[in-house]
Amino acid sequence: MPEPQLSDELRRMKAEYEPLLPIEKKLIWYTFGTGIVLLVALVVIGKFFV
Amino acid sequence: MANVAGPAKSETPTVVQATQPGMSEDWLALCIGLLVFVLSLGLLFGADLLGWAVTTSVWIDAAKALAPVSKSYAKLPVPVSVLATYGLLLIVLLIGARAMRANVKRFAIGVTAIFTLGYACWFLGNWAYVAATPNQRKAFGIDWSLNLTNESGFIIALLVGLIVGNFLPGVVQRFKDAIRPELYIKSAIVILGGFVGITALGQGRLASAMLFQGLCAIVCAYLIFWPIVYYVARRYFGFSREWAAPLASGISICGVSAAIATGSAIKARASVPVMVSSLVVIFSVVELLILPFAAQHYLYNQPMVAGSWMGLAVKTDGAAVASGAIADALVQAKAVAAAGVHFQPGWTLNVATTVKVFIDIFIGVWAFILAWVWSAKIERREGEKVRAIQIWQRFPKFILGYVATFLIVMALGALVPSLVPKIKASMGEANVFRGIFFVMTFFAIGAVSNFRRLWQEGIAKLAAVYLLCLFGYIIWVGLLISWLFFHGMLPPAVKG
Repeated sequence: MPEPQLSDELRRMKAEYEPLLPIEKKLIWYTFGTGIVLLVALVVIGKFFV
Repeated sequence: MANVAGPAKSETPTVVQATQPGMSEDWLALCIGLLVFVLSLGLLFGADLLGWAVTTSVWIDAAKALAPVSKSYAKLPVPVSVLATYGLLLIVLLIGARAMRANVKRFAIGVTAIFTLGYACWFLGNWAYVAATPNQRKAFGIDWSLNLTNESGFIIALLVGLIVGNFLPGVVQRFKDAIRPELYIKSAIVILGGFVGITALGQGRLASAMLFQGLCAIVCAYLIFWPIVYYVARRYFGFSREWAAPLASGISICGVSAAIATGSAIKARASVPVMVSSLVVIFSVVELLILPFAAQHYLYNQPMVAGSWMGLAVKTDGAAVASGAIADALVQAKAVAAAGVHFQPGWTLNVATTVKVFIDIFIGVWAFILAWVWSAKIERREGEKVRAIQIWQRFPKFILGYVATFLIVMALGALVPSLVPKIKASMGEANVFRGIFFVMTFFAIGAVSNFRRLWQEGIAKLAAVYLLCLFGYIIWVGLLISWLFFHGMLPPAVKG
C-alpha cells in the first residue's frame, strides 16, 4: 500500500495530537537542565584550569 | 557523519540511491583520505609522489594561474598536471565506486562532470578581481576587488550546483551516481586531520585548549539544543514522536546522519528521516551562504569563536566544514583590512572541523540513549534489548582517519622536529586534493538541493519548525556557547 502524502499526514497529526508523556517531559527537562549545569561548570573549568 | 544500519542508508537524500551491500561511504572516504595522506608522506623518504598535482593561485593573467604544487615538477606542462590530477582522482573514485557496487561507467561520467565544473568554478573564484584582498591589489595592479578570497570558488561552485539542481533535473539524474557530497567531504576531512596536525605543531597549548573547549561546547550544545527543539516540535507544532525526534536531531545535532541515526534508533519509518534530511541539506545551503559573511562582519577579531560557531550552527559535515573554510578566509581578510592583524591561516577551519568531528562522534552515543529511552520507556518493546555494539555501528568511521592523520603528523613532528618542514610540504601537497574534494562537495551540495521538489512534497510545516528553531534558537545559542568557550583564544599572529 502506498504511504500517505506527507501533507495529509501532517494535517492528521494536528487532529490526532499525541500529548507529551511524563517520560518525554523528563527527558526534555533533565537533558536541558544537565546541559545548563554542564555549560556553567565547563566554562568555569575552561577559564581557570585549561 | 554516522553510517547507520537502517533503511535509509544514503546520506544524499534528495538523490535517492538504492541501498547496496557494498562498502559504505564512510569506509571508502577513510581509504581515499588515507591514500592521499600516505602518498603525500613520500616526501619524508625523498619521493615526491604528489608534487605534480595542479594548484591554482589568485590570478590576473589566466595563463599563470595553474601550476604543479611542487617546485620539483616546475617544468611539467600545466595540461599534464591537470590531467594527472584528474586521472588520479578518477581512478581512486572508480575503484571506490566498484567497492560500493555503484555503476562504474555512470560514476565516471558524473565524476568527470563534477570535477570539470567544480574546478572551473574554483579557477574563476581565484580571479584577482573576485579573490584579492585589499593588501594584495597592488601586487596585481588592480584598483578594486570583491575581497572574497580564493575560497569564493566554493561559493561559485555551490551556486552553479544550485542552478543545475533546480533548473536541470535531467542533468542531476544523469550524474546522480557521483553526486555524493558526503563522500567528498569525508575524504577531505581525513586529509584535513594532517593539516590540523601541522597547524597545531608548535602550538601545543592552543591546540589542546581548542580540543578541550570544542569537546565542552559539543556536550553542552547536544544537551541544550535537542530538548528544546523536540519540545517545540511536539508542543507547538503538534508533531508525533516519530517525526519530532528525527527532526530535533536533524536541526540540533548534525543534520543528515543524526536524523537518520535517530530515525533508526526509535524505529521510525524510513521516509521520516529521509524527509528531514532533505530539509537539512536545503537549510545548510542557506546557512552556508549567510553565516560565514556574518562571522566576517562581527567576529573578525575572534576567529576561533567564528570557527566554533560554524561547526555548531551549520548542519551537515560538508556545509559546516565548508563554512569554516570560507569563514577562515573571510575573517582573515577582514582582520587584515580592519585591524591590520595577520592571523595564522587555518585556525577557524580547524575549530569548525574539530567541533564537527566531536558532534559526529557523539551521534552514536545519543542515538543509543534515545533507542534505550524509546524501547524501555516510551514504547516498551517486550524482550528487546539495546546493545552497546549499536554505538559502534553508528560510529562515523571516517573520523578514525581524521584522528589517525592528526596524530601521525603530531607524533612525527614532536619526535623528529627536523622533519617538520618536509611534513609541512607533504601536507601542502595533500591539501591540493582536499581543496578539490571541497569544491566537488560544494557543487554536489548545490546539485542535491532541489527546492521545488521538497515544496511539492508538503514540507512547509517541517520547514517552519526548522526555520524557527534554527534561526530563532540554535544559531544564537550556538554563538553564545562558542563565545563562552572560545572568546579570547586567538590564533598566533604572523607577519603580513
